[in-house]
Order: sequence, then C-alpha cells, then structure tokens
Amino acid sequence: MISRRKALRAGAGLAALATVGAPSILHAQTKTLKITTWGGKWGEVMKATVLPAFEKEFKCTVSADQAFPFLPKLQVSSKNDPIYDVLHANSNEQWNAVVEGLVMDKITAKEVPNIADVYPYAVSDKIVGVTIFTSAIGLGYRTDKGLTKPTSWKDLADPKLAGSRGGYLIPVNSLGQAHLMMLGKVYGKGLTDLDAAYKALEALKPIKLVDFTGQMEKMLLSGEVSMGVIHDSGVYRYEGPNMQPVDFASPSEGVLALEQVLNVTPGSKVKELAFAYIDYMLRPDVQKLLAEAVWYSPANKKVKLDAKYDAKLLTTPEKVASLIQPDWKWYNARREDIDARVTKILKG
Amino acid sequence: MRAAPNRRPFDAGRAAYLTLNALLLTFLLLPIVIVLVFALNPTPYISFPPVGISLRWFEKFFGSAEFMNALWLSLWVASVVLVLSIVIGAACALALVRGNLPGRAVMTAFFMSPLMVPAILTGLALFQAYLLSGIGRPVWGLIAAHTLVAVPYVIRTTLAVLHNFDRRIEEAAAVLGASPMRVFFEVTLPLIRPGVFAGGVFAFIVSFDQFPVSLFLVVPKGETLPVVLFNYMKFDLDGAIAAASMVSILLALSVVLVLERLIGLKAYVKL
Repeated sequence: MISRRKALRAGAGLAALATVGAPSILHAQTKTLKITTWGGKWGEVMKATVLPAFEKEFKCTVSADQAFPFLPKLQVSSKNDPIYDVLHANSNEQWNAVVEGLVMDKITAKEVPNIADVYPYAVSDKIVGVTIFTSAIGLGYRTDKGLTKPTSWKDLADPKLAGSRGGYLIPVNSLGQAHLMMLGKVYGKGLTDLDAAYKALEALKPIKLVDFTGQMEKMLLSGEVSMGVIHDSGVYRYEGPNMQPVDFASPSEGVLALEQVLNVTPGSKVKELAFAYIDYMLRPDVQKLLAEAVWYSPANKKVKLDAKYDAKLLTTPEKVASLIQPDWKWYNARREDIDARVTKILKG
Repeated sequence: MRAAPNRRPFDAGRAAYLTLNALLLTFLLLPIVIVLVFALNPTPYISFPPVGISLRWFEKFFGSAEFMNALWLSLWVASVVLVLSIVIGAACALALVRGNLPGRAVMTAFFMSPLMVPAILTGLALFQAYLLSGIGRPVWGLIAAHTLVAVPYVIRTTLAVLHNFDRRIEEAAAVLGASPMRVFFEVTLPLIRPGVFAGGVFAFIVSFDQFPVSLFLVVPKGETLPVVLFNYMKFDLDGAIAAASMVSILLALSVVLVLERLIGLKAYVKL
C-alpha cells in the first residue's frame, strides 16, 4: 500500500521532471496568435479563408476574438502578458490604446515589409499602427425621394430633410465624432472648430440618431431616412438583386477616413508572429480578397481590384487625396466635454 | 310573462381591473409580435407593413454554424447553471432559515448582493480576477459567473416557501420514526420543491439570456448566443436577429412549460 508521504514524494518528483522538461515541450508547442477582428461578412471571410491560410503558412494557431469591447479587455489584462497580440480597431480607439501604453507607437517597414507599398495615409502622423483598409465617410441618400445627389456636407442641413436625415449618437460612434469635426471644417475654421460644429449640429435637428452603422444602413434601405452620414462600404455592399434605391455621395469638401488599423501590443510574447500577421494582411492577394468581400479600400497601392470595385473605391493617389483624417488624439483629449455638449444639444 | 334577464350591474372596479390587465398584456406581448413580424418578413430591414412571409431568416439562423454553436453552448451552460443554482440556492436558503446562524440578515443580504451590483461590473471584476489568478477564461469560469448571479433567485423563491412552512409536519414524521435524512427527502424537499424549481426556472432564463456578465468571459469560438447576437447586430442588422430572438423566446417558454408539467409550478403560485 502506498503511504500518503510516498505519494506526495512521487508527485513532487514528477512535478520536478515536468519542470526540467518544460522548455523543450514549450518549444515544440504551436504558437498561438491572439487577435481581435470584426464580425459580419469580414469575420466570415477571415474565418473561412484568411486565417486558416495564415495558420498553415506560419504553422501557428490564431485565436480571433470577435466579441466587443476589445479595449477594456486589453486594459484589464497584464501589460506583460496581454490578452491580445494584435489589436484591430478603428483609429480613434487605437489612439486611446496608445495613450495608455497598450499598443505600439509606430510600426515601420523594418518590422512589416509591406508597409513600403502602402498609401501615405496608412502610416501618417494621424495613425498609430498601420492602416490596412479604409472606408470613406460621406453621405448616403435615397434616389427615389426626389433628392438631387448631394455635393456638399451642407446638403444634409436642407430643410426638406427635417426628420428624415440620419446621424449618430456621437459619444458612442466614431462616424458621428468624425462628422462633428467635419461640421467644424465646413461651417468654421477647421476640424477643430468645435463652436462652429456645435452650431451646425443644432441646425441639423430634427435628426434620427443611431448608435451602430448597421442601423443607419437599414434606415436608409427601409426609407426611414432619406439622407444620412455613412461609410461607402455600408451602401455599396447591398448591391445585387436586393439593392434598394440608395447611393453614396462623396461631398466636395472631402470624405472622412474610417481606417481599419492593426497594431501590436508591446508585451506580446509572439511579436514576430504579430508583425508577420500584419504583413500578411497587407499582401495584395489578401487585400484584394477582403476589399472585394466587404467593399473596403485597400491600403496597399499595388492591389488591382476588379473593375466594378476599382470604379467606386479609393484605389488611386488622386482618389486617396480626397481622404481627410481626423486628429483623434486631439479629439480623445476633449472627449468628455464634447460628449456632454453634444448630448445637451441632441437631447430629445 | 317572461322574466326580465338577470343582468349583472356594471362593475366599474372590475372593468378597470380587466382594462389594466389587457394593457399590461399588450405592453408585454407587443414587442414579441413585432419581433415575429420582423422574423417572417423577407426584407433585410424592418418594414411595415410586411411585404410577405418567408422563413429565410430562420434558415439563415439554423444554417449558421456560429449561431448554432452559440445556441448549444448557451443551452448547455444554462442547464448546468440550473442544476448548480438549485443545489446551492436551496442549501443556502435552508441554512439561512434553519441554521440558527449568527448575523442571518447580513448573510441574506450578502447572498443577494449579486443582484444589487450592476452585472457588467460583476463580469468585468470576474474577468480581472480570472486573468490575475492565471486561469484564463475557461467555460467553467463562465458557468461559475452565471451561477453567481442566478443563485439569489433560487434563494429568494425557496425562502418564500420556507417562511410558510409548517414544521409540525416534519416533527410528525420524526415522531413516527423517520430518520432526519428520510424527513428531508420525503417531507421537506417535496414541500419546498415548487419554490426551488421556480427559482431554477429563473436561473435557467437568467443564464440563457445573460449578456453583461458573459461579455467579458466568453472566449473566441466559445461565445454564448446573446454575445454572438450583439456582435452580429453591429455589422448585420437583419431578420436573423429576430429569428434568433423568437427561438430564444420559444426555448425559454418550453423550459417553463416542461417544468410546469413535471413539477407543477402552479403550486408555488398558490403559496
């Protein structure tokens, strides 16, 4: 019969053996890359094609988190052992993350070679990390309501649109925040002219507000709003037999950039793999696949899209020049005051 | 000569009572009707009046591996939570009523405290605790978190039954020679069963519909249905959401009906 003491001794011996053998076991283990990613059609393509191909090529497994909110989870986890290796987020959220030291300041072509082929906006001083795709925020409108195609952001303030124009709950939606800054540019001295922006926002009432872009898409499709702030992919993706009389217009003052940004967490244990993933996402074939699946404009200059996508997306230096990138660092620093003010304006 | 019909005089109080009930029922059921209309409408957006009847959103829901995995995980977690909550909740309620414990009021408040804290904070706190202790986000962690917020419901309903419990029945059984174990299983448990299982129904539904606590505790490829629906809504707000809602409502209703058939929840209502 084995005594309790003997059993404990044997257990301790086994534990010691396991500890000695651990490095070789760890070395043999498949590396896991922990990323965040979007849902919807993007998530479907990622899970069905993009990620399995990456796992095969780099002999790793990818744990892709699609469950929001990403930033609070990253904030709570240890900086030395973060819950994610790569954070996929919009630019405003990346700026929040970098201020807290949760993601890297800059990624260069040294770490991610395909950065050499991206448009300048993808790594501009308005970006932390790397932009892999962008959408253009402009105006979506119904073509069956007797409206002429909008040419200016000011067209949204047309009195005829009272009650049938659409916007966002600014505190929770980055399109709404970007639009507020655009109002400052169009009606005032620039993107940071908040007084002019607040005045212009007041003039947009009555306005239907939503918190998700998906809701704005549906309101346009159902005709609940006749014109609203939306990104181009939110209109173009409904092409085909189910297409409703809805189109997208790029105002002459410029379209706002809604960037899809990837960044690496400083404490990642698989940093090389994280950089390899970003490089992979910037490859022309991967960019083409995703761009055509979800109507995002690719950041890589070398991507050749099929004609119908090429005609509408930002795929040339001239088209890309119409992109306006908000200064999210500036905005985030004033966010509490802005939220309080716009809530007061749009109350009721 | 025909007798005049025996008409009941108009009862204003009864009319007000029936009107109020009708209004309440309408208030509760109207959203379900709207969800059903949206689920059966073939357009990918809410339109009224509906342009037709179609099962395309139900087909999309049942044909999606993501939705199905989430649905089964939610059902599995809720079933485990149901069992754990019943065992823990009933034991706690018995201890609180029969245990002659010091500081019983404080302990009762402590057990009820998960209902007082916003669930999103409970989820965030547990997420942080799990990460700090190095256990990650295992599925049993999710079950433990759901159990934490579900147990107070079982405690509350069981306490309600125990407060109306006639202990002389137990004493009679004991006097007639039954052992304490036999008294518990053959007298006490059958009498408190309606309260325990009514709490169990709440526990199941609370777990199955749980969103704020799950939000931080689910892992990639291991997301519960409410979390999957929330993320889906951010990108695709179509009828699949309404179809999923109808399935959830029918599942919750089925659980209530099955338990009613098995144990007779009406007995609890009478208490």
